[in-house]
Amino acid sequence: MSTDEITAGHLQELRRGTVVLACLVRLRTPDYGYALLESLNALGITVDANTLYPLLRRLEKQGLLTSEWNTDEARPRKFYRTSAEGEGLAAALTADWHLIDEALTRLTTGDEA
Amino acid sequence: MTTTTTLTDRYVWAAIRSVPVAHRAELERELRERIGDEIDAAIEHGAGPADAERAALTGLGDPVALAAGYVDRPLQLIGPRYYLVWWRLLKLLLAVSLPFVALGVAIAQAVAGTNVGGIIGAAIGVTISAGVHICFWTTLAFAILERTPAPAGRRGVDLPWSLEMLPALPDPAKSSRLAELITSLVFLVVFAVALVWQQFGVPWVPELQGVPLLDPDLWSFWLPYFLGLIGLEMLFAVAVYAWGWSWGLAAVNLVLGVAFTVPALWLLLTGQLVSNEALEAMQWPWGDSAPIILAIVVVVTIAGAVWDVVDGAIKAYRARGARLTAAGAPA
Repeated sequence: MSTDEITAGHLQELRRGTVVLACLVRLRTPDYGYALLESLNALGITVDANTLYPLLRRLEKQGLLTSEWNTDEARPRKFYRTSAEGEGLAAALTADWHLIDEALTRLTTGDEA
Repeated sequence: MTTTTTLTDRYVWAAIRSVPVAHRAELERELRERIGDEIDAAIEHGAGPADAERAALTGLGDPVALAAGYVDRPLQLIGPRYYLVWWRLLKLLLAVSLPFVALGVAIAQAVAGTNVGGIIGAAIGVTISAGVHICFWTTLAFAILERTPAPAGRRGVDLPWSLEMLPALPDPAKSSRLAELITSLVFLVVFAVALVWQQFGVPWVPELQGVPLLDPDLWSFWLPYFLGLIGLEMLFAVAVYAWGWSWGLAAVNLVLGVAFTVPALWLLLTGQLVSNEALEAMQWPWGDSAPIILAIVVVVTIAGAVWDVVDGAIKAYRARGARLTAAGAPA
């Protein structure tokens, strides 16, 4: 396994949880899979379609997202929206994210006191 | 246009037919939405419709794998949830059953008068076949379990790991040596009682009532000798309990083993061990199988004695290693 592959693997691990948080925050405005994918990638949150679509399904199953089929256009699309529980999880994840950030900052600047 | 729709249709069909019927309608709509959006995006970037479809479907990859990702279907036979339980159970079943299968087949073949090659062949064949059966059915049960939905956050079956499952350290604490001592003493007492008791026959076998099993002439020397040896074995068991295994005790174990096994086999093979009355009552020899049964008894006796000596040596070796380890740690 080359260094690049190892780095890529660890980056993927690091980002995995952040994709969930990004989806929960972004879907306060209802949207469908492909539009969400595009907007996340435009923001610099790179996520693979093969990760995102099953993730949306799983979050819906866990009650963190709600969904609704929009049949107004020729192609029916499933619109997802963050539920109240999803908001709660987003708040918890955000808080934890800041804690980790602060801890890592202290660690890297050597100011552990 | 017909061909392009057909490719997507075939892809969607390949994907949804691998999931339960109840999920199919929803999954089909989702896949069609995703494929349609990806084709549109590619066309917007200047690709032809046919190329766009091919690229989009190729990008989705194996439809069965894709569908499995959507509905959380396991793509392994036995996942991490059950792997360790499966592995422990399989080892236990194989270790417990196969020796008995092999022994049982060997004895049955020997009694039926098969030659040695036939006995070994049958034992190996049946043991392999039993092992394959155990592996297959155990694995099948766990593969089904893996695919059986369990209440959220719970496992269908559980063999929870507990502290009691930790393997014992090489040098057993005195409490576990106590169990060994009790086992040895009980066995030795039963053995001594049986040696005396056989003089009066076997009460629950009608033909052997009141018939001494061992030759009564042996009371002049050999039976007291064996009873004395049993007494020494008892002292030896107490010594092992008190001091733990050491090379000295392993050597004593070897001497005791030889002192018992060699005369016992000599008496058996020279026809001095079992009384003539008992042989008549049992209608010995039993046809052609007599030499084979005799051979089995001899082999099992020698194997048991050798194992006992080796076991003593192993325990002495491990006890030494454990003492060295313990010496390095603060007491």
